Amino acid sequence: MKPLLEVRHATRRFAGLVALKDVSFTLAPGEILGLIGPNGAGKTTLVNLVSGTLSPSAGDILFRNETINRLPAFRRARLGIGRTFQIMQPFPGLPVLDNVAVGAMFGRDGGHSNLVAAREYARECLEFVGLNNVIDKRADELSGPGRKRLELAKALAMQPQLLLCDEVMAGLNHVEIEEVIDLIRKVRERGISILVIEHVIKAIRSLSDRLLVLHHGEKIAEGEPDAVLENPIVIEAYLGKKRS
Amino acid sequence: MKARNMGLILAALVLLAGLPWYGSDLLVQFGINALLLAVLAQGWNIIGGYTGYASFGNSVFYGLGSYGVAIAMVQWHLPFGVGMLFGVVLAVAFAVLLGVPVLRLRGHYFAIATLALAAVMTAIVSNLSLAGQNIGLVLPPLNNDKLFYELSLGLLTITTLTIWGLTRSRFGFGLIAIRENEEGAAVMGVNTTLYKVTAFTLSGIFSALAGGIHAYWITFLDPESAFDLTLNVKMIIMAVFGGPGTVFGPIVGAFSLSAISEFLSSEVTSIAGLFFGVVIVAAVVFMPRGLADMLRRGRDMGWGYFAENIRRHRL
Amino acid sequence: MDLLAQIVVNGILQGGLYAVMALGMALVWGVLNIVNLAHGAFIMLGGYLSWCLFTYLNIDPFLGLPLTFIFMFVLGYAVQRGLLNLVIRASMFNTLLITFGLQVVLTYLAQLVFSADFRTINPSYAGDSVAAGPVVLPEARLAVFCVAIVLTVGMWQFLLHTRLGRAIRATAQNLTAARLYGVEPRHLYAMTYGLGIALAGAAGTLYGIVSQIHPYIGASLTAKSFAISIIGGLDNPLGVLVGGLFLGIVEALTTVYIGQTYADVASFGILVLVLIVRPRGLLGRAK
Repeated sequence: MKPLLEVRHATRRFAGLVALKDVSFTLAPGEILGLIGPNGAGKTTLVNLVSGTLSPSAGDILFRNETINRLPAFRRARLGIGRTFQIMQPFPGLPVLDNVAVGAMFGRDGGHSNLVAAREYARECLEFVGLNNVIDKRADELSGPGRKRLELAKALAMQPQLLLCDEVMAGLNHVEIEEVIDLIRKVRERGISILVIEHVIKAIRSLSDRLLVLHHGEKIAEGEPDAVLENPIVIEAYLGKKRS
Repeated sequence: MKARNMGLILAALVLLAGLPWYGSDLLVQFGINALLLAVLAQGWNIIGGYTGYASFGNSVFYGLGSYGVAIAMVQWHLPFGVGMLFGVVLAVAFAVLLGVPVLRLRGHYFAIATLALAAVMTAIVSNLSLAGQNIGLVLPPLNNDKLFYELSLGLLTITTLTIWGLTRSRFGFGLIAIRENEEGAAVMGVNTTLYKVTAFTLSGIFSALAGGIHAYWITFLDPESAFDLTLNVKMIIMAVFGGPGTVFGPIVGAFSLSAISEFLSSEVTSIAGLFFGVVIVAAVVFMPRGLADMLRRGRDMGWGYFAENIRRHRL
Repeated sequence: MDLLAQIVVNGILQGGLYAVMALGMALVWGVLNIVNLAHGAFIMLGGYLSWCLFTYLNIDPFLGLPLTFIFMFVLGYAVQRGLLNLVIRASMFNTLLITFGLQVVLTYLAQLVFSADFRTINPSYAGDSVAAGPVVLPEARLAVFCVAIVLTVGMWQFLLHTRLGRAIRATAQNLTAARLYGVEPRHLYAMTYGLGIALAGAAGTLYGIVSQIHPYIGASLTAKSFAISIIGGLDNPLGVLVGGLFLGIVEALTTVYIGQTYADVASFGILVLVLIVRPRGLLGRAK
């Protein structure tokens, strides 16, 4: 099967600092790929390169076999790439419903052009993530876990083919994490491929089909979750981090 | 919109449209000024209130509209309508050419860049012989306040209808998303650059038309008055006082502040200015979301509304 | 050649004054994130204060400077503590508007108290000058320049080496950092604003020695202070000094070689270019 997303030798430099160095991988349709690595490994930079918030300094990013390196973020969104942010980015003054309606109205292929239809679809997405009882609240009045769910609903409303989840479980308790894992599985059942960044190793092991490990901006391992997590290089990257 | 509100608005419009037939000449003149200021406040509302970009360059659009009419009528002997069109063309050119680089700036930086552009435009026009340099131009007089009044009212109606349409459209929704979180809007598929420049241009067209009407009415303009920066501050105050990002707020703000300052300036002028300043300061402290919000939420909360505002925004 | 040297020297002398004018604005903007549209009006007020001290009490403006500085500091502290702190977390329009309102209030108060007449602080040595080779240096302007440099460098050292200065710089990064210095944020904000206004007052004194004061100078001085803050960046008083000198020289050159009416085009044109090319100022660091 042709990959949905292909990253070839992607490198990103910031004023002399190399945040990401020669990273290549592919993501198949319907796959959940877990992206892990210690803090500062370049995980968010990689997501930014795919979503279009940043452009690669070198290398290529292909979505459905087309190079999208130079496309601005909004074009990639319309191609079908949705994302959530590690530091949540709601539209703070808008009601929860309209936050999601923005995704429904723009999103893939331009989304719904009509506000009523967009809100209708937004309502479905909010129900899907379990926020249907707070749709009239302002986004900045939501609790932390609520905001995480809102991020997911916003991205889902775009009807993406590829969803980039940047630490949607950080700061949640065990029960909430289990709920989010279920939610992400349900998203995949809708035929959406997912790239998940996560710190909670237990969660990502059970969720991912494959794992990709970054360390100091380089790919150090890739493959089956169990095999990768027992890989001595990976263990050293994590333990080395702990020791220092 | 509810039928009752619709009826109220239509009644107000009829009442306003009939003013030249039952009001005094002075009232009609005050009306023209207030209506044109309301158009400017509404124009600013599009880029400032809905898109969240605090433009200090809208007085440039007003100036270009004024000079468009003046140059066309005085230098080229063309009719007023052509002059209005010329002014609009100038404003659109300015909005597109300078909007693209300047709208990349955020927050205060955008505000200041537009402020600086306004200063540059004043100086450039003062040196153009086509625009009468710093002496200015005198237009052929037309003593028909009734016509100017109805023109201004028509323009305000069109501007307000446009904004009302915005609030129900995909485009307007995208602008609000940009105001609330530009980066978030971009990754959700909003073409932020296109939307911002379009909003800036729309805002410019209405301001230019207001400038054109004002120039023909007042029959004289020079760079200082056409590109007057305090005019720009006035439109912001009126929009923010009334309620930025609402359909009718800026109109309410423009009418009420015009009335207050008209009333005061007929008393003692320097006290009037002082009072104007105090009103602005007090308004920001007690009703930072504008009159519209105060009327909406203040009714239920009573005096607690003001305390709540301070609690929310103080350090 | 002599003419060019004279123009550049005039520009440099003027630029020192510009730097002090902008110093307080850059401080308040950088640390409190308030673009203080009343800044120019406070400069005007400082000018009138020194003018009063000189005219009614016969205090030389350079000796009166510390008095003006202290008075303006107290005024600024009170304005921030009693008023601006109440709205500091509201939207950006609101802080712009409230400072504009303050500007209006100060302008009309000045007009009521001092009338619209032009005033100059005119000590006996105002007309004297010294020659340095082919270049003439008016003594008053030279003294103003020296005081300006002392204030700028003093400010820089204060921010670098005192506890309060370090707390202020930390606040520019984020508010919680300030708490680590054990300073109460409301007090710290008021201190910062007070310092900014005190510098504005000092600039007003110096301005009154070399130029004329009237109630309406505020707006254009605010605009100029803006321009310099942007060109120099908000991080560092020395950047503001360079920005001030740069603007002074450019204005002097434009006035002589292109024409008085283009002086503003030059300064604001440069401002727009700088903003577009380097939004954090020519000397500002990228965040």
